[in-house]
Amino acid sequence: MTLQPDTFKSLVKDAAEQVIASAPELTALDQAIGDGDHGSNMKRGFQAVLGKLDTIGAQPLDEALKTIGKTLVMTVGGASGPLYGSFFLAAGEALSQKELPEDLAEVFGSGVNAVSARGRSQAGEKTMLDVLVPVLEILKAEAGRSDLIERVRATASEAVARTAPMQATKGRASFLGSRSIGHIDPGAKSSCVLLHAVCSTLEARQ
Amino acid sequence: MAVGRTMIGQDMLETSANGPFVTGKVRLEHAVGMHARPAVKLTKLAKRFQAQISIRASEAADWINAKSVAKVMALRAPRNSIIEIKALGEDAQAAVVALVDLVAADFPDVGPS
Amino acid sequence: MNDLVSIVIVSHSMDIAKGTADMVRQMVGSEVKVAFCGGDPDGGLGTNVGRIMDAINDAWSSKGVAILVDLGGAETNSEMAVEMLEPERRQRVVVCNAPIVEGAVMAATEAAGGSSLEQVKAVAEELSAG
Repeated sequence: MTLQPDTFKSLVKDAAEQVIASAPELTALDQAIGDGDHGSNMKRGFQAVLGKLDTIGAQPLDEALKTIGKTLVMTVGGASGPLYGSFFLAAGEALSQKELPEDLAEVFGSGVNAVSARGRSQAGEKTMLDVLVPVLEILKAEAGRSDLIERVRATASEAVARTAPMQATKGRASFLGSRSIGHIDPGAKSSCVLLHAVCSTLEARQ
Repeated sequence: MAVGRTMIGQDMLETSANGPFVTGKVRLEHAVGMHARPAVKLTKLAKRFQAQISIRASEAADWINAKSVAKVMALRAPRNSIIEIKALGEDAQAAVVALVDLVAADFPDVGPS
Repeated sequence: MNDLVSIVIVSHSMDIAKGTADMVRQMVGSEVKVAFCGGDPDGGLGTNVGRIMDAINDAWSSKGVAILVDLGGAETNSEMAVEMLEPERRQRVVVCNAPIVEGAVMAATEAAGGSSLEQVKAVAEELSAG
């Protein structure tokens, strides 16, 4: 798997469009256990990313990731803006010292660490990390597999579903305590949407 | 040495040199006692001086640092408390006089330094 | 006159941010620079990294800036904003762990006396200490 510039641009476009399309679902999930603004926040952020698609497509990959990160920070708002923004900013920073696809796990891992540090949280607390961390584990453990894309997709799906029985201890949902149980975490869902979009685009290009 | 100052309806105020400390006492006339706004004014004024300055709201209370806005706010001295001030250092006399005046005059606005 | 540490107030609510700034100016005076921001771009409750950065730069003092925040998102976004400042400015901005109104008044009082950024932060955080 190598990333051509036009592939990356397609990846970004597809992922952004998927997030925008999933905004109503994200809103519904967030109304159950949050402020109800995750859908509109993410939509706004990824519309801004789409608006910068040409710039992003023309930049070297590491800069492009940072541009995505900065755009999300400035436009998503809420709690997710800094979290997603930090992911892409850190991934971009890591990529400036590394190569894809060999260092994919490390680059992804830098993003995950940045989310963890920014949100002062870790897996098991019913957040987007509960999708990102399992996916990172797969990237690390199964890097050479020919069906890696499918494995990432399946891992993300399972991980999202596993957030439902968890009790939230971070973010707005934590104020609900045990009432957060039984609901999928909206941030986990949006992470899954992004990852699925990336998987689909890469598969289509294989 | 005593320096007196009276205002209508108030007790005599005095400052005196007492050992190495300069001390002063003044009755707190402010309608709602030492709440946040007067506390801030007192602290700001105290910070203009080099001297170490302590205040307390009654003889039974501990001395607290007059330059610590948190401590002064926590005083919450009620109306009619006798505020005691003691200061140590080069400008101790000036500090005590200024602080006594501030309380006696019911915390007027002061211009920037 | 020497520079004084500046205060930036970041609330989820523009009303709270503005009101807190008003209280600081009325109680402490105008010698300490105060900037404030609050609310999201759509006019609802929230905090916005870009506006926080603007507030920090508006209130900039060579002696540094102390930020007071209300709930968690304001703190996270403020930290993000600090990290996105120019490198020379990043080191001279702190986010205080203090109640927003009391912390701002106390921080500004301390700043008015010419105290350092570290001292201003410490005073604001006395309220949150055990």
